[in-house]
Amino acid sequence: MAKKKWLSVFVLVTMAASLLAGCGSSGSESKTAEGKEAGNSSKKKVVAWAWDPSFNGAALKIAKELYQKEHPDFDLEVVDMAKADLEQKLNTNLASGVKEGLPDILLVNDPNIQKYVTAYPNTFADFTDKVDFTKFSPYKVEALKIDNKIYGVPFDIGVTGMFYRSDYLEQAGYTAKDLENITWDQYIEIGKKVKEKTGKYMTTINPNDEALTSILLQSAGSWYITPDNKGNFVNNPAMTETLRVYKAIADSGIAKPVTGWSEFVGSFNAGDVATVVSGVWQVSSIMDAKDQSGKWRVAPIPRLNVSKAVNASNEGGSSWFVFNDSANKDLAMDFLAKTIGGSSEFYERFLKENGGVGSYIPAFSSEAYGQKSDFFGGQSIYRDFTKWSTEVPGITLGMYTQEAKDALKNELPNILQGADLTKSLANIQTLFEQQVH
Amino acid sequence: MKRLTTAGVHLFLILASVVSLFPFVWMLIGMTNSSSDILKGRFSIGSKLMDNVHKLMEMTNLGAASWNSAVIAIIGTFGTLLLSSMAGYGFEIYQSKGKSRLFGLLMLSMMMPFAAVMIPLFRMFSDMGLLNTPTAVVMPTITTAFMIFFFLQNTKSFPRELLQAGRVDGLTEWQLFTRIYMPTMKPTYAAAAIITFMNYWNSFLWPLIALQTQEKKTLPLVVSSLASSYNPDYGIIMVAIVITTLPSILIFFLLQKQFVQGMLGSVK
Repeated sequence: MAKKKWLSVFVLVTMAASLLAGCGSSGSESKTAEGKEAGNSSKKKVVAWAWDPSFNGAALKIAKELYQKEHPDFDLEVVDMAKADLEQKLNTNLASGVKEGLPDILLVNDPNIQKYVTAYPNTFADFTDKVDFTKFSPYKVEALKIDNKIYGVPFDIGVTGMFYRSDYLEQAGYTAKDLENITWDQYIEIGKKVKEKTGKYMTTINPNDEALTSILLQSAGSWYITPDNKGNFVNNPAMTETLRVYKAIADSGIAKPVTGWSEFVGSFNAGDVATVVSGVWQVSSIMDAKDQSGKWRVAPIPRLNVSKAVNASNEGGSSWFVFNDSANKDLAMDFLAKTIGGSSEFYERFLKENGGVGSYIPAFSSEAYGQKSDFFGGQSIYRDFTKWSTEVPGITLGMYTQEAKDALKNELPNILQGADLTKSLANIQTLFEQQVH
Repeated sequence: MKRLTTAGVHLFLILASVVSLFPFVWMLIGMTNSSSDILKGRFSIGSKLMDNVHKLMEMTNLGAASWNSAVIAIIGTFGTLLLSSMAGYGFEIYQSKGKSRLFGLLMLSMMMPFAAVMIPLFRMFSDMGLLNTPTAVVMPTITTAFMIFFFLQNTKSFPRELLQAGRVDGLTEWQLFTRIYMPTMKPTYAAAAIITFMNYWNSFLWPLIALQTQEKKTLPLVVSSLASSYNPDYGIIMVAIVITTLPSILIFFLLQKQFVQGMLGSVK
């Protein structure tokens, strides 16, 4: 009997203690929140999530400096996270309906824009009247548009180019002129010659990475899915041509097989390949190999053999969102609109200090964008890249880009082994529809 | 013939140790090289160690992150050891109705993937106002079915005569647990400590969700944020990984003898 009594007393005490502990901590929590607000009356602090402290995080710091000139009481905290981590946190917050811990400003990868805005309506602020979007490359604005509203501020772009080793191509008998305005079939022919004369591969290929197919598709104004989120694999000449070219590159023996990102970067840092078709942000990885200074150049990417295809495309890029429920919504929006959404000075500094290229057209004619790069043999690479960026076809990335890419990846090995392309494309289409609907 | 088999066994063991040690060697060599040398596959000690360390110190607040990790891992380990051993002891020593059913239910919880309970858990901790605290990180896994099971299994070989002798000498039930059970089961505690410490130290997903500000981040979160920039500096990442791995290795070597004993069963 005595034992039972003792036990119930113990249970009661534990419950009371845990209750008190709960109260205590939530009490102190609200206190710190109040304390913060009191501190903020002199300085208004906005919080942003970004994923690369030396790139987009650094861009925010430049923007902060510019904005503070006019608004000395403005302050910004950048929380750096890995991109996958950021998306995981964001999804948990949004799915559970908990606002606590969300920032005011959010960096969004362009292919995720439509998904977020559609899946979580009224969560993100409408920027349509806050920024002059005619000053940005049209394809970049197109990606942010949903039902004629524009949900963010365009940030960095991934306009593509064909980086090449001029020394290898010279050995194979090609000059810069020979690489302008070519098709992918010509590219493969050049690759064979390079392989024969120098023993070097023309490029790398990775069947688990959909970067190349994405670049090819957008260069023809097409995408894995249609704007109304249907699979775009059958009866799509751009898709058929993209996969034909992809297989031709794999079959021709000019591509070094790689399995991952580090092996891909390692192959050009070690001088194993003659060309790299990639977004402008690849400049920094290429320039890591300091011993190769002066040997690199950039040309426009080759073109697909279909109507409307151009020698320009895009790989990657991101934009800034503001949360509708944020306590500092107006301040955060004004901050973005005045800097990343409308300051040439911001884009000039972003390029000079971090090698970042934006889509803000007024900045393209600035001195910073015209600088000659010794690493690239004195070429004004950014002038070229920005020129190509205005030619990139605008596409709607839709809601299910990742699912469509996964469906394609699933079938890619069969295509590379010579399966009938029409049949394979039908398979991909079915697989995608099964996954999404 | 026998000599031949021994040679074969040795050859196999040598190969296995090369395979398992290679990542560590690669990590140690990597932290002395620059990022592009690592990508090129350079396999010799370089001269960039201090550069990498300096850059890492500049980019991250390692002190705070180590402190956060340590607080979580130490509180979590002590809490888990105490609660799980009490539960395992209770399940094995005391008899009561429905005990085996309750234990079955507990085992079922092992089959629940963490991702499935994450969102409700997040809401709960938000409602309790505990998000962004070490408490939020430690609480959900402070008792795991696995640890309770581990203690229960090891308690099976615990000599109950000791408890009877203790009772005759007038010890209370609590004293029996702390003065007789705990000291006897040291090797089991050591093994459990290593497993639990490593789990807390390396835990990633839940801390990522539950910790919200930069200054509360743990070491694995810092390493992860280093690894995903567009042009990651692998030299710096290697230094960070070495720092993150060291405590686990140290604890393992400190408790190695007990660990092996504990896995074999505490009492022989």
